[in-house]
Amino acid sequence: MLAATLGLTACGNGGANNGQSNAEGKSNNSDPNAPVKLKIMWQGADIRHQAMLKTQEVYTGLNPSVTFSPEYMAWDDYWKKLPTLAASHSLPDVLHMDGAYIQEYATRGTLEDLSDIDLTGVIDEKTLDNLKINGKLYGIPISRNAQGMAYNKEALEAAGIELPKKDWTWDEFFDFARNARAKLPEGVYPISDTDTWDFYEYYQMGYGKGTIIQEDGKKFNLDKDLFMKFYGIFAEFRDKKIVPPADMVSAFKENDPQADPMASGKVMTRGATVGSVGALEQLMPGKIDVVNLPVGPEGGGWAQPTIFLSVSTDSKHKDAAKAFIKWFVTDKKAGETYGTNFGIPIYDDVYNAIEPSLAPKEKLGKKLYDTAKDKALPFSPAAAGWTEWVDNYKKTMDAVLFGQKSLEEAYNDISKSGNALAEKLSKSSK
Amino acid sequence: MKAEAVHKPAAARLRLTKKKAKSSNRNNLAGYIFISPWLLGFLLLTVWPIIQSFYLSFTEYSLLEAPTWTGTQNYANIFKNDTDFTTSLKVTFIFVLFSVPLKLFFSLMVAMMLNKNLKGMNLYRTAIYFPSLIGGSIAVAALWRNMFNLNGYFNHVLSWFGIQGVGWITNPHTSLATLILLNTWQFGSTMVIFLAGLKQIPNELYESASVDGASKVRKFFHITLPMLSPVMFFNLVLGIIGSFQTFTAAFIVTQGGPINSTYMYALFLYDKAFKHYQMGYASALAWILLVIVALMTAINFLVSRYWVFYETDGGKQK
Repeated sequence: MLAATLGLTACGNGGANNGQSNAEGKSNNSDPNAPVKLKIMWQGADIRHQAMLKTQEVYTGLNPSVTFSPEYMAWDDYWKKLPTLAASHSLPDVLHMDGAYIQEYATRGTLEDLSDIDLTGVIDEKTLDNLKINGKLYGIPISRNAQGMAYNKEALEAAGIELPKKDWTWDEFFDFARNARAKLPEGVYPISDTDTWDFYEYYQMGYGKGTIIQEDGKKFNLDKDLFMKFYGIFAEFRDKKIVPPADMVSAFKENDPQADPMASGKVMTRGATVGSVGALEQLMPGKIDVVNLPVGPEGGGWAQPTIFLSVSTDSKHKDAAKAFIKWFVTDKKAGETYGTNFGIPIYDDVYNAIEPSLAPKEKLGKKLYDTAKDKALPFSPAAAGWTEWVDNYKKTMDAVLFGQKSLEEAYNDISKSGNALAEKLSKSSK
Repeated sequence: MKAEAVHKPAAARLRLTKKKAKSSNRNNLAGYIFISPWLLGFLLLTVWPIIQSFYLSFTEYSLLEAPTWTGTQNYANIFKNDTDFTTSLKVTFIFVLFSVPLKLFFSLMVAMMLNKNLKGMNLYRTAIYFPSLIGGSIAVAALWRNMFNLNGYFNHVLSWFGIQGVGWITNPHTSLATLILLNTWQFGSTMVIFLAGLKQIPNELYESASVDGASKVRKFFHITLPMLSPVMFFNLVLGIIGSFQTFTAAFIVTQGGPINSTYMYALFLYDKAFKHYQMGYASALAWILLVIVALMTAINFLVSRYWVFYETDGGKQK
């Protein structure tokens, strides 16, 4: 009876508070101890899922009023599911964002500005400013990430092949592939073929010709000479069986025990990031090592935060969501729980606290970061509106891989659609 | 008086019809109330979105921002500059052209086998129909992906015979055929309808044909096929409509690849709507598909009078 009365009073109060806080704008619309269930979504491999679930348990242990309704899946499925959720205004309260996609979501008004989360002394101003989109912070970076490569150290050593070295150049990378071909058994390949735009872009940027998509998608810049040279080398590799045949390449699926290019034993190297190399190491424990991406005169690869936690504009628990994110980034206990599963934790104090207890496989991520950071170039995601072009780039290059298109045709197709899109976007913004 | 007498029956009649109309109105109302759960669902979840999609097909709509009216721009772009449209249409037509007849043929053969009077036939029927309970679902498509992948079960079996398989679903030459095979394999419901049709054929026809010394082949072509033609027609129409909308297979097994070789129309439409944020454009694509399917169905009905045989027409062909 007493409880019921209390409940009723609480409801009455809640209603009154609501009216008030709406007038005030952003302040708390419920008392901090009312139970809240935060919907949360992220992508990754199983090792990350387990760490993330445990982190939420820890948080609920400390804040019993906050519980979670988690949903998690692999990278591909995640980015397939998110647009439909966004369209129906049912994005989760807290969601994992990636540098490659955050522009698309932020510029379409689905993400909350998180500039008011106080991170002084945690993340330096410059880093945060760099991550702002139109002056607003749509996601809190949770880690330092970097792009590099993983290689099968055990198998390469067994075959007597010289291991890749830090800051290897593109020429050394190609030579590594040629030399390794001679020493590896048939059906095993030193490197894989490439059909995505980002891998070529590392090459173009390394040779000082800049990014492909510039000025927020209003300028298109594909260097024909470099394009022809880069893919010309891969064409030669295809003939010489230095890269796997096209139908094998399109069957690869990263982090799948049977279909992962490296875990399946078919390829000796593949791209890896600080935050994802742990999943590969789990598939082939003790066998792999890391190196940065091949570099050109300008450098190569990137090393910066690309993994964010964001809050949906449709969320009804924005304050609780922000409080969780702040805890996630700044609390040592949180860091101890999720470890290096998202990359190197962004807050140095957190990382320093967990470093001594890192398992050797977790140090792999740190090693990748340290190797990549010297020569790193800026991370350059596709601008908003460019996802279709990115898809078509891959399809066009697949046609080249399967011998259905010449390189010249591919270049023309890709640059035609890129220029058309850039023109369309610059018109619509005027 | 006289006038009254004349009018009385008329008035009574009027009253009666009014009463009738009233009660039938009431009956109708009760009927509508009974079907209202379905009706509401139909109106809100089917009719309304259809109307909306028609409107959206004349707009540019990113899903996340409000739609803006662009007139017939979407349709113009689809027909003028969209190579993906022509590609996906071509892929879909090839798929329909092969998968529909194959599926009809295959399910008819299975139905005929299951129509035999053998001991334990019910068990066979159940066993053969059983996989169809899982239907055209994600699970089946995922299974198919694992079977026909480069290192899938199928190639594994081939390797016992020393045959080096290809990546059936990752090779542009074989990927579409693999999906056609998948569609053919999902013969369950078509087969059951055929089986029901076969059971309807009176045995006397076969008996009298046997007395006249007709061979098995002759009986098939002159009794089974004509008697089955309405069922065949039904399966054909549904098969064509269903095949034009094939999505799950392409989405799960091949994701339209490699290089668009299995880029079904429905998948292309989905990509436009949910991957590239062009809901208006996708709506226009949906309406074009509707027109195509309607046309195909109309052609089917027109042609059907030359080959579909209805017993109720007194055996005359229309």
